[in-house]
Amino acid sequence: MTQKNNKIPFNEDNYTHNINRNNERKLDRRGFMKTLVGAAGVFAVSSLPWGGVAAKELMGLGNKEYPHKKIVDIKSIPIGHSVDFKFPGEHDDAILIRLTETKYVAYQNACTHLRCPVFWEKEKGEMLCPCHHGKFDVETGAPTAGPPRRPLPEIEVKVEKGAVYAVKVKRYEV
Amino acid sequence: MKCNFHFAALLVILMLNIVFTQKMVHQYYFENYVTAIIYCLLNLVLFPIAFVIYKQDQKKA
Repeated sequence: MTQKNNKIPFNEDNYTHNINRNNERKLDRRGFMKTLVGAAGVFAVSSLPWGGVAAKELMGLGNKEYPHKKIVDIKSIPIGHSVDFKFPGEHDDAILIRLTETKYVAYQNACTHLRCPVFWEKEKGEMLCPCHHGKFDVETGAPTAGPPRRPLPEIEVKVEKGAVYAVKVKRYEV
Repeated sequence: MKCNFHFAALLVILMLNIVFTQKMVHQYYFENYVTAIIYCLLNLVLFPIAFVIYKQDQKKA
């Protein structure tokens, strides 16, 4: 097949058909269609893990309880300040913000656009993702500006014995 | 003139693949797992369809 397609159809002695690249005519119509089918196959295979993980979550295997994790002592976080921590796993970045004397909010701070870290802008009172200027509402985690469309996953916290603990990652309301 | 219908159909399938994948990933992160699985299955179904279209085109040639 390669040879059949690699031939220059007729011999022309002119100045316009003088480019002679190797395998110039290799990608013919059939070959291109084959590529398209292959792409469909790649899409099919690569969507399998997503389906698998989704099925796992549906069956409740993803609902495991994580041990409560101490984030920070109340003493060391003044009102309006934030502190970074990891929850529930070692690689899940999260941020705790103290809004008032008793009110704490915590979110997983991977931006819901492309997973850049989201920072707390104390002066402006908003959460900002510096990559594409996505902004999030600090009270709810809902996106207010920029590309992200999905709220930040909220982490339930509780205050106990002078320290703040992360309890669990809240599910989105259905 | 070859049948361009098959060709166009394959292009449409590729387009749908992209759309379904995008939807699947988003629905997964939105925690709508049933919807995510539906899109995953749609993506899986598209491959045999593409293959059948390709075979039909081969037969015609």
